[in-house]
Amino acid sequence: MASAPWPERVPRLLARRLPSYPPPPPTVGLPSMEQEETYLELYLDQCSAQDGLAPPRSPLFSPVAPYDMYILNASNPDTAFNSNPEVKETSGDFSSVDLSFLPDEVTQENKDQPVISKHETEENSESQSPQSRLPSPSEQDVGLGLNSSSLSNSHSQLHPGDTDSVQPPPEKPNSDSLSLASITPMTPMTPISECCGIVPQLQNIVSTVNLACKLDLKKIALQAKNAEYNPKRFAAVIMRIREPRTTALIFSSGKMVCTGAKSEEQSRLAARKYARVVQKLGFPARFLDFKIQNMVGSCDVRFPIRLEGLVLTHQQFSSYEPELFPGLIYRMVKPRIVLLIFVSGKVVLTGAKERSEIYEAFENIYPILKGFKKA
Amino acid sequence: VVVFGTTFFNFDSFIGKTDSIEIIGKSVFPYCYHNILPLLNDSGRYSLGDARRPLHETAVLVEDVVHTQLINLLQQAAEVSQLRGARVITPEDLLFLMRKDKKKLRRLLKYMFIRDYKSKIVKGIDEDDLLEDKLSGSNNANKRQKIAQDFLNSIDQTGELLAMFEDDEIDEVKQERMERAERQTRIMDSAQYAEFCESRQLSFSKKASKFRDWLDCSSMEIKPNVVAMEILAYLAYETVAQLVDLALLVRQDMVTKAGDPFSHAISATFIQYHNSAESTAACGVEAHSDAIQPCHIREAIRRYSHRIGPLSPFTNAYRRNGMAFLAC
Repeated sequence: MASAPWPERVPRLLARRLPSYPPPPPTVGLPSMEQEETYLELYLDQCSAQDGLAPPRSPLFSPVAPYDMYILNASNPDTAFNSNPEVKETSGDFSSVDLSFLPDEVTQENKDQPVISKHETEENSESQSPQSRLPSPSEQDVGLGLNSSSLSNSHSQLHPGDTDSVQPPPEKPNSDSLSLASITPMTPMTPISECCGIVPQLQNIVSTVNLACKLDLKKIALQAKNAEYNPKRFAAVIMRIREPRTTALIFSSGKMVCTGAKSEEQSRLAARKYARVVQKLGFPARFLDFKIQNMVGSCDVRFPIRLEGLVLTHQQFSSYEPELFPGLIYRMVKPRIVLLIFVSGKVVLTGAKERSEIYEAFENIYPILKGFKKA
Repeated sequence: VVVFGTTFFNFDSFIGKTDSIEIIGKSVFPYCYHNILPLLNDSGRYSLGDARRPLHETAVLVEDVVHTQLINLLQQAAEVSQLRGARVITPEDLLFLMRKDKKKLRRLLKYMFIRDYKSKIVKGIDEDDLLEDKLSGSNNANKRQKIAQDFLNSIDQTGELLAMFEDDEIDEVKQERMERAERQTRIMDSAQYAEFCESRQLSFSKKASKFRDWLDCSSMEIKPNVVAMEILAYLAYETVAQLVDLALLVRQDMVTKAGDPFSHAISATFIQYHNSAESTAACGVEAHSDAIQPCHIREAIRRYSHRIGPLSPFTNAYRRNGMAFLAC
């Protein structure tokens, strides 16, 4: 299990734009959640043994790597398999590569997530299946979570020789645009809605994670900054961090709720930061079962909507009690999302576990709302 | 429910405030756009423009009726609580009073459920709300629903009350209101519609403290708790809504249609009201001819009372205070 630390996986950039979490159905042989958990545990165990930020990681393994790998593997999948074992040994060589040419946010994120990079490396070193997950065309565009990043990692591993020198910078912009596209392997999903060009913006993400150890809330509250704890009022520590701007409720059982993030990645990052804080206070905190519980998005259709008409025709889905709440509550069945529709044209979507659900729900409701446009 | 008869509703004895008309959060008549009542409060009258200004007299009358009915309801509820030996009026008492009228009870239950649901959703959206809710400790989700279910469970002898929870019948009154609103809003332009929406949002529950003051429970020994106040605010709103529904019906009746076989059967007192001094006063406001007049309201209440009609001696509506509640 102990192995040399892996270089920073810039493929994590792709993961930054995760449109959905958890990973998509394993039609491409992605690892199961259990395997992922194991990697998390292993990684965090390693992490707790270390201290301080990891040195900057190699920029070599940019998201472009998958492209190379794709070409490589498409022609010769067998060699890829074979070369994999060798890669593990040599990957340690890339630990001290200069990151400065990467855009600021990336470097920042890299600094903030030494944990994640290690996590990925752990994952890769442990998994046998990445080899079977060699790229299919759709994989190249994946911005999905651990699985895709580990996939990319495996790609990166597979061509250590090629990437001894820095990847050609011109490819980097592609990688950024790639990562910005937020495309899933299953359905090519663009954030731009086809019908109207209006994209719901995420406003709040609620996630939970299990730190898997009993916590002494009093100790945490006393030693941590930005923590409040009032046992008479509520049995949890309320901690806040400024970047990403979030709030966490930390319970003595080790469970934690993280709210206020504006994207899945931010929520994950924030949760990790809180876990790190708890870790630094001396608890053997891990990072198990990170799950996004709720996502809230909002947008504006930019025309007034006649809610009386909508509630009449969609009675079985909507309820509109203006004296109680100024918006119409629409319970969409597929996907299971609740929409709050206001006369002004503002729409709030909530109840999503994945970003795609919000986009889909908005795509579904937009034509209906157009039908009730108040001229 | 519309019964013809000869007696009339004596509301004079119950008039509370007449001069300083402090109607808090006076709910709007969303059902008849041209009758949007002014929201009268300390800071002045909120008038919605000439063409849509309802008659002041109508507003005063409706306020009186609603206030009276609510006070009576409260007193009955207080009696029920006293029977139980409780110290506060709880929602259970109000539900108990409403047990006879299934439809209205169902509407109230639906309202309570929607209120729970809305809190749940809004809570998930704003992280501050989420924290607030967690901090408040108790499990607030679906609290109103639980209260209602537990109570109806306990008093239900025949199973028909509990059957209401599963009942998915369409509420005809509500359906009619929705259709009426839809018809009206279809012809409005966006400015009018914006105004209409704003006025629909007025409710007694928004200004809970003022509502409490207006109700003036200080003289009572037993006071209602928070959820009971919510229900009372809702019942006040329902009373106004029922009054408008009935008044519109009455007004419709008053228009004599050529060839209508029953026009000769309209009761004498009704015509008397129509031809009384009120209508001459109303002539001065020809422009508001489509506004609901006090006479419509009075006639609606008269017809609603159980005390009139050929069977009135045999109905058990001869309650001590002789009040027939519009809301329950």
